[in-house]
Amino acid sequence: MSPLARAAIHGWALRTPLGSEPEVLLARLLAGERAASPCPMYDASSYPCSLAAAIPVPPLASRRRKFLPRMGLYAVEVGVAALAQARLRVPQLATLAPERLGLFFGYGGLRAPWDELMVAMAEQRSDLEASWERGLRHLHPFFMLQQLSNNAHALCAEEVLARGEGVTLSGPNAGAQALASATAALAAGAVDAALCVAYDSLLAPEVLIEQGLRGALTAARTVEELRAPYDPEAAGAVPGEAAAALVLVREDWPMAPLAYVRAADGADAGAGGQQGPAGRTLARLAQLVLTGPVSVVDGAAQAVSAADRAELAALESAEILTADARLTATLGSLGQVGAAAPLVQAIALATALRAGQLPPVAGLAAGRAAGAVRLATGAMATAARAALALSAGARGFGGAVGIEIEGASHG
Amino acid sequence: MSEVVITGVGVVSPFGIGLAPFFAGLRAGGCAVGPIRHFDASALPVQVAGEVPLPFRTCAPCALPLMQLCQTRLGIILDERSQAALYQADHAGALADRKVVFATLAALEAWRDAGCGEAERRAPSYLGLGLELGLLDDLTDLLDAQGGGPLDFDRDRGEPLVRLRAPVDLGASVVRRLLGLQAAAVVNVSACAAGALAIADAAALIRRGHAQVVLCGGADSMVNPLGLGGMARLGAPSPRAAADACRPFDRRRDGLVIGEGAALFVLEAAERAAARGARVYARVLGWGSTQDGYRVTAPRPDGSQAARAMQQALRRAGVSPDGDAVGYINAHGTGTPLNDPAEAHAIAAVFGDRTPELPVSSIKGAVGHLMAAAGALELAACLLAFTDDLLPGTAHHREPDPDCPIRVLGPGPQPARIEVALSNSFGFGGQNACLAIGRPRP
Repeated sequence: MSPLARAAIHGWALRTPLGSEPEVLLARLLAGERAASPCPMYDASSYPCSLAAAIPVPPLASRRRKFLPRMGLYAVEVGVAALAQARLRVPQLATLAPERLGLFFGYGGLRAPWDELMVAMAEQRSDLEASWERGLRHLHPFFMLQQLSNNAHALCAEEVLARGEGVTLSGPNAGAQALASATAALAAGAVDAALCVAYDSLLAPEVLIEQGLRGALTAARTVEELRAPYDPEAAGAVPGEAAAALVLVREDWPMAPLAYVRAADGADAGAGGQQGPAGRTLARLAQLVLTGPVSVVDGAAQAVSAADRAELAALESAEILTADARLTATLGSLGQVGAAAPLVQAIALATALRAGQLPPVAGLAAGRAAGAVRLATGAMATAARAALALSAGARGFGGAVGIEIEGASHG
Repeated sequence: MSEVVITGVGVVSPFGIGLAPFFAGLRAGGCAVGPIRHFDASALPVQVAGEVPLPFRTCAPCALPLMQLCQTRLGIILDERSQAALYQADHAGALADRKVVFATLAALEAWRDAGCGEAERRAPSYLGLGLELGLLDDLTDLLDAQGGGPLDFDRDRGEPLVRLRAPVDLGASVVRRLLGLQAAAVVNVSACAAGALAIADAAALIRRGHAQVVLCGGADSMVNPLGLGGMARLGAPSPRAAADACRPFDRRRDGLVIGEGAALFVLEAAERAAARGARVYARVLGWGSTQDGYRVTAPRPDGSQAARAMQQALRRAGVSPDGDAVGYINAHGTGTPLNDPAEAHAIAAVFGDRTPELPVSSIKGAVGHLMAAAGALELAACLLAFTDDLLPGTAHHREPDPDCPIRVLGPGPQPARIEVALSNSFGFGGQNACLAIGRPRP
């Protein structure tokens, strides 16, 4: 048995490069679509990575815009939408005391707000003489609020009236950590319902430069040149972005949930470099969230051949897959979405299991698998009721999410 | 359910490097707020801060002076592995960030203080960290190099021309490598409640049996032009460039003073600490976490959710607010017009008739507001009540405010023997945290 508590999902919402509805996302994943295109946000043609997968729709019009950068607006949107869905499905949630609703946020970290900063910085001198007069005085009065580390959390709490336990976590693993924190709080009875939100964007110029130079992001100039994750010649992922939210309650609530979830996070011992987690770290985390072998895995899809091979080898040796297991790669279609990955994968996987359909690893030609684990190279039917999602971040951090739908044979 | 105890403390504060100068400053009723020295702030609207007296500039390679500082101020000589980790961090530019340097020093002191070694290296770390806003030096380099043009990079060196923004978990990453910690780090960025919530998470982990030892706390610095400039535009700091710029709960209060520093703790299951004969500073009895759900720019005026955080902490601690167990509250006490009355109302709501006799103080007048690290440093201040039977004073509090109907201690420390202390941290955006700690068992 997994040592971790299982929570029931009663509401979800997401914004991804391939859609803002779980069913739309699944349809596009099943069609083998990839969201990558030349970076639509700015001219990245001279950068070491120039492809990107952006959320195509702007945030909804909001009076919060003055307080929140773009990704924060998406985060509040999905939080509100997920809770609204859950309140429709579960009458008890509609009447739940605000003091019993917890809010757990995870995001990758703030990015440099270039538009704001350039106004303040353009006339600065290296010795910082008269820095106020030279530009800092031009900062918008709400600059600090826009940079506030928990601004999306605070506005979401206000919007959904959440007054229970709350936490904002950050870093490459923050989504998995927020999810693990939410399920632990539910299990301990600290809250009766938890809204968990994760968001991240890897589309900032500095990320394309730094991660592109390190080979973590693809150097392909066109989608046609792009190698899929788990291709033996894969040489970097596509940077993506996403926001996603889950509404969780304890599994003993009487109504049937959308799915059940367990989450774990961890890291390589003593790691501090830029690389993703070792395969054995991912396998160890997988064992924490599973109660038996699974036949569906959504891989970390780092699209770096050595890392992909190590992940597949670790999955094989950990004996957590059934003989007929198939591996898919949501993040191969969406791009790497940083801290948002575990929640996005949870929604995509659960929707796929509920539909009885497994998407392929987009762009992966048949027969080009990097290991012995069988990869889904085309959309296929599945009767699986349980699945595993893995995610990888820099500095050796990894996350694992176990998903089950009604009728799972274990758990 | 394991009892949780504090067995190691590391502090970097405006009073100096280490727990000893911090306690000495509090014992003396001192004030470490003064003119900013590590860069020219004369043209900024904010010119005073609770600045850590670091004897070297962090923007230059600083692994060597940092190691010297460890040796001279903390008596710590790094082993070969830790030295290598420090040089690696320096090479990667990580030590250019003051809060990373603070976290490093505090972690080393806490780890040594607790007598941790190889057996404790599996400890998870929970850090409350502020976000990187110390961009100004780097940005001026960038603009000089490129004339304000689009971002570029150095293909020959294989890296960007400048470090544009440090990863938010940089400090945690450096500490993990330095101490050789095996477990993951969790970075809490819940604004001014981050440090306290990181400690609460760590305590929960131990109490629920998921860990035996956890390194936790907070580190932050916004004492840089962009941090100060941004806060000034927001109107949060006191407009007065004086050492008494922050006057918590005082009728004349007009804003906060920004501080910087770090406080890290080794939390441990009590039975484990007892088995190895570790010194215990205090027991972590309870914690509370709530959200205002009110406004991002202001606390709830009635303090009702802040009160609930205190009630949660007391409930977990098994302590009644009606009895005389709670002998002291270290308030969030920012010295801003809105925060202090809201907190005072919250305290009064929890403690009712006991409120007029219950000692409350805020150390922010003495050291400034350490933002993400505030709750951690203030928990360290509470330990003085058990180590010295002294309650820290409230620097610059001279004229009580009728809108803050609580018993605020004056500038000097007050002798008292207490059993339980509360430490409040109420973050911008309405995230509230409260920690309850108790005197060690005899």
